[in-house]
Amino acid sequence: MWNLRAIRASEEAIVSDGPLIVQSDKTILLEVDHELATEARHAIAAFAELERAPEHVHSYRLTPLGLWNARAAGLDAEKVLDTLLRYSRFPVPHSLLIDIEETMSRYGRLRLEKDPQHGLVMRTTDYPVLEEVIRAKKISPLLGPRIDGETVVVHSSQRGQLKQLLLKLGWPAEDLAGYVDGTPHLITLNEDGWHLRPYQKLATENFWAGGSGVVVLPCGAGKTLVGAAAMATSSTTTLILVTNTVAARQWKDELLKRTSLTEQEIGEYSGAVKEVRPVTIATYQVLTTKRGGLYPHLELVDGHDWGLIIYDEVHLLPAPIFRMTADLQARRRLGLTATLVREDGREGEVFSLIGPKRYDAPWKDIEAQGYIAPADCVEVRVDLPRDERVAYAMAEDADKYRLCATSETKTHLVEQLVAQHQGEQLLVIGQYIDQLDEIGARLDAPVIKGDTTVKVRQKLFNAFRAGEIKTLVVSKVANFSIDLPEASVAIQVSGSFGSRQEEAQRLGRLLRPKQDGRAARFYSLVARDTLDQDFAAKRQRFLAEQGYAYRIMDAKDVPTG
Amino acid sequence: MSLIRALSKELEARSDESLRALFAARPDLISPAAPDFAALAARASARVSVQRALERLNKPEMQVLETLHLCTNADTGHSVSAAGLKKCINGSTLAALEPILNKLQELALIHRADPPATVHNPGRQRFYLPVGSLKDVIGIYPAGLGRSYTELVRLQPAFAQRVVQLVAELHKSGADVLAATTPMDAALALQRWTSTPESLQHILSEAPIRTRPLLNKFGSWAMGAVPQAQRKASVLHEGRDVGPVDWLLARGLLVPLDAGHVELPHSVGLSLRGGAIVDHFTLKPPVPELGQTSAALRRNAAMGAIAEVLRLVGELLYAVREQPVVTLRSGGVGVRELKRLADSLRLGLSETALILELSALSGLLRLDVDSSTWVQPPTVEWLTLPRQEQWLWLVNAWLASERAPSLVGQNLPGPAATASRTGFAGTSINALSAEAQRPDAPLVRKRILEILDELTREVEALDGKAPVLNAEAVMERAEWTQPRMSRRFSSLIRGILHEAEILGLMGSGALTQLGSAIATEQPDLALRILGEHLPAAVNHVLLQADLTAVAPGYLAPELSEKLLLIAEAEGQGPATIFRFSGDSIRRALDAGQDAEAILAFLRTHSATDVPQPLQYLIKDIASRHGRLRVATSASFIQSDDEAAIAELLHEPGTASLGLVRIAPTVLTSAVSPRETARVLRELGLSPAVQEAEPAVVRYKRATAVAGGARPVYTAPRTAPPDDDVDAQLAVLRHHRGVSGDMTGEAATQLGLETLQRAIRLKQAVTMNVVDGLGNSNTETVVPVSVSGGRVRVFDAARDTERVLSIHRIIDVEPAGDPRK
Repeated sequence: MWNLRAIRASEEAIVSDGPLIVQSDKTILLEVDHELATEARHAIAAFAELERAPEHVHSYRLTPLGLWNARAAGLDAEKVLDTLLRYSRFPVPHSLLIDIEETMSRYGRLRLEKDPQHGLVMRTTDYPVLEEVIRAKKISPLLGPRIDGETVVVHSSQRGQLKQLLLKLGWPAEDLAGYVDGTPHLITLNEDGWHLRPYQKLATENFWAGGSGVVVLPCGAGKTLVGAAAMATSSTTTLILVTNTVAARQWKDELLKRTSLTEQEIGEYSGAVKEVRPVTIATYQVLTTKRGGLYPHLELVDGHDWGLIIYDEVHLLPAPIFRMTADLQARRRLGLTATLVREDGREGEVFSLIGPKRYDAPWKDIEAQGYIAPADCVEVRVDLPRDERVAYAMAEDADKYRLCATSETKTHLVEQLVAQHQGEQLLVIGQYIDQLDEIGARLDAPVIKGDTTVKVRQKLFNAFRAGEIKTLVVSKVANFSIDLPEASVAIQVSGSFGSRQEEAQRLGRLLRPKQDGRAARFYSLVARDTLDQDFAAKRQRFLAEQGYAYRIMDAKDVPTG
Repeated sequence: MSLIRALSKELEARSDESLRALFAARPDLISPAAPDFAALAARASARVSVQRALERLNKPEMQVLETLHLCTNADTGHSVSAAGLKKCINGSTLAALEPILNKLQELALIHRADPPATVHNPGRQRFYLPVGSLKDVIGIYPAGLGRSYTELVRLQPAFAQRVVQLVAELHKSGADVLAATTPMDAALALQRWTSTPESLQHILSEAPIRTRPLLNKFGSWAMGAVPQAQRKASVLHEGRDVGPVDWLLARGLLVPLDAGHVELPHSVGLSLRGGAIVDHFTLKPPVPELGQTSAALRRNAAMGAIAEVLRLVGELLYAVREQPVVTLRSGGVGVRELKRLADSLRLGLSETALILELSALSGLLRLDVDSSTWVQPPTVEWLTLPRQEQWLWLVNAWLASERAPSLVGQNLPGPAATASRTGFAGTSINALSAEAQRPDAPLVRKRILEILDELTREVEALDGKAPVLNAEAVMERAEWTQPRMSRRFSSLIRGILHEAEILGLMGSGALTQLGSAIATEQPDLALRILGEHLPAAVNHVLLQADLTAVAPGYLAPELSEKLLLIAEAEGQGPATIFRFSGDSIRRALDAGQDAEAILAFLRTHSATDVPQPLQYLIKDIASRHGRLRVATSASFIQSDDEAAIAELLHEPGTASLGLVRIAPTVLTSAVSPRETARVLRELGLSPAVQEAEPAVVRYKRATAVAGGARPVYTAPRTAPPDDDVDAQLAVLRHHRGVSGDMTGEAATQLGLETLQRAIRLKQAVTMNVVDGLGNSNTETVVPVSVSGGRVRVFDAARDTERVLSIHRIIDVEPAGDPRK
């Protein structure tokens, strides 16, 4: 184990003043202002996950999944170690080097392949590994007869589950078994007055070359277009899975605008409508509806010969969809997301079932290219009035957050801020409906919440996009996948506790580039000395770690009037 | 002539040069100085001294010595020459043997003797006999060969009972063995039957398969474990499918010793080796096949390790200064305490134990006897040194230390240890406990480093590569250079290699330049190499909006210490991340700093602007710091803020304080202010602790205890100082006593020799013994055995066995000695 076979680094390859500091706790610090920083960032992005990106020092984490992603992208341990040694300012902890080599060597020792005679088989280059996994209790029922020392038949229906279990055992399999073609259906991009951005093109190409996998792009960077481009490349019937109906409609509009597809070719499969067309957009909710212990709409997924399945917002994929996906391993799968971090920690399942990460662009790069708007986050601290503080102090734990989050002072402050941003497209976002209703009434602005019908929602969103409505008050229904390109100011009055993902999504609403290149402004109103402030601290850390400019100010410093 | 007398004469006849060489190689002989040559000879023949001398012999030397021991018989005066030895050692030449014999003679392990009576024409050959106690030291299996059949019959009653029948059965089955009526005859018959390689070959030709491989396992050691060794096995009732063990037992080719062990008798072992005692002899040590690692990688690993160990020792000292390390009543540091340290160092338990041990053995921690805690001495010079000197300090201390840090966490040997199976649980060795003490650790460490250096030089490495040395390779070499000592290596070697890796003496499995400089005792060279490669300390941090400060490299210690007061350290590696939080800022404010001072400090030491959120945090916390006041006298909580008081009163978290509202703005608490404040802080409040009463000031002991002195490592010296040798020579040369006159030390040794000889020859001795009342009696007895300072004798007059203490024996002579 002492012998790192993979390393070829010569003395000269090591520069002593690189931009990286490799820590023994498996993080890599990147000094952003260093002259080699960009070069180093591109080199390590392939195998390390960006964890924090504040202004001066970014930190990346080395995880087994990240390293296996790199292997899947064709990078070997030798290159990874070489990169670390080349760009590291200080000696790289030796145990880490050994660990990386060992982890990376685990990927691909097992391969899933198509055998002309036996169908789907698992092959190995390392006999003991096969012996080990064959003996694993959960895996043996998924396997068929042993063909020879290095090969074993796999029941083709168990391809997904096998990959999942192998990953858990720490022997991720490389899936080389290929895909079914699906029903051909011509789709072309309608590049008229717009063009795919270079990174969108690259993401599509990387995905297609890899077969299946996930593309990670920041909010507002145009993930839908990557999906459309993938569909055009595939030119087959396609199933698109999205989070909700509004998102489904948005996908449809976008596809009509950007591709050769016509109204008749795109179907919506949701709670309200159930159309199956060559391109079908279905919501997670309808697919996961359970009736009498069965999923009645599952047939949509496996009863048709889809050539491509697109998963929007992969980080939100519900568990039953994973189970379905396990049976779909022979179809091309594209996952789209802004973040691979799942609050439930199921990143491993995304890796084994949808596929490895195929493209990842740090939002800083995309922002620098002008494709997304810069954002300016401001936390405004309000002092609760005396009576509210006493009420807060005496409240039950369960009510405390609601009490402080819906303070009346916040409503006044919202008015002040709205006045300050007169004439700008403005969103007020909150968690508690009563509070939103009150704010809506005060501002004389429409409120969109859970019980607003889809039709009304779309109408309001359209009016907002057209600039007919300047201010919109929305609840958490607008967190995801709603495209409001002109919104430039958002005021968050309350959130669902400290959810980092929600924060990212809400901010994401603002990041579509503005026509005049203005920076987006994101206000968070926080009641001082309360739970609200604790949650805000978590969000602040998250946003600062993402690299957004962040300021804190007191409510009394907000200009009145 | 007695062996001691013979040796004494020979020593006396030697030149001063030769004596000096002897003293250098066996320093224990002149410590304390020997009065005369007789005493010197007695010491040289003493068991312990011979044992030490043998520890320094290498494999071919041991092979020659063991062969010489087997080929000679001091009682009959049967000596052997180089030519005689050559026949017994396969692959040897006279040219190879003679220097070895000279060396052994020089070491006084063997001495010249008259040719045996059977040799009529000795010519110019030199004949040798070993010193008397060699037999005891070498043990019962010299050269790994077993005892002869006759000896086994004598010592193994069970075999003696069985052997006659066994031979009879063999005879009956048609084997070419003579029938016998007594056990001794039977033993001789078996001996004859197996005496030559050809005869054994003939016997084994009918053996079942797998017999050969089984016998080969006895190739290097005559004893082996076999289940049910005393099973009934007979040639007459043998089936076709007889197993190899049954087959060998039935023919007496393996002799059962007890229920689980068998022995391969001498003649069988010898014949298996083709009649030679040593079947493979070479003067060249084996060169192991080793992997290679790149020199760049080796340096990377070593430099990384050094930076890490210095950082960790520094952090440990900081942690100990904050809170001393408590010891267990049974000694050592318990797991709970170790866990606390591990948490503060953000390390695993075993690594923490190593760092703790390393700091303690370097004198950076001191056991405070009054409080039974490990504390930092008042002044620690180490902290002020440049980093390369810090490193050398640790390395020197480690080399000289009699502790084996890597043993910490391993299970204690002994029956109690079997109960616990998991790492640290149960009866494992605690950090800083006496169980991890190994007096020979410095010697073993030095030897291992020397071997590493040797191997690195010997193994040819490609350009830019270095050989990877593992424990097995070192062990193999140790077994060649010092076979008698290698067993002591085995328990320590892995730990020592690991520690060397931590200290950067090894990197990526290979000996580093630093390691080889240390192995060859050139600390200055090591310092120079290290000085070139260690990066300089940084004097700035990068402040970021996520409330962290990143030190991009090794941070100057004074800066790091100040930062630790206002922020928590995070992460593990060359760079440190400091995270600011409300709590950490409050801590700094409690320690007497104010917002402006903190901000000014940050501004001076930050390479970037102080981000707005951090400024806001510091000012915000500072402005509200002290809004709540906790006083000592009645332990009350006062606040101008009634809402805060109401909040506190209804807060479930304060239930433990027993709060009572005595005024709209004052609460009293039932517990101490410190505890009260802690609870309040846990609730996210920011009380100021106000010491209203003059606090009890604890005076620390004023007597300055010196900090750990800088360790100066001197390699364990094996040769005695020249002055001692000169003095010894002077004493020996001036004392011109009659060499036949044996007194003092020599007499004791001589007495023992007489006893041992009498035991071997079963002769009676006459001894003068002092009884419990101080009266001396002369008795004639037959000694049976000598061990542990006691002699067991058979008293023919009383027909009983007795045990006598050797110190009660004044005088012992063979019975019927003419001088008596």
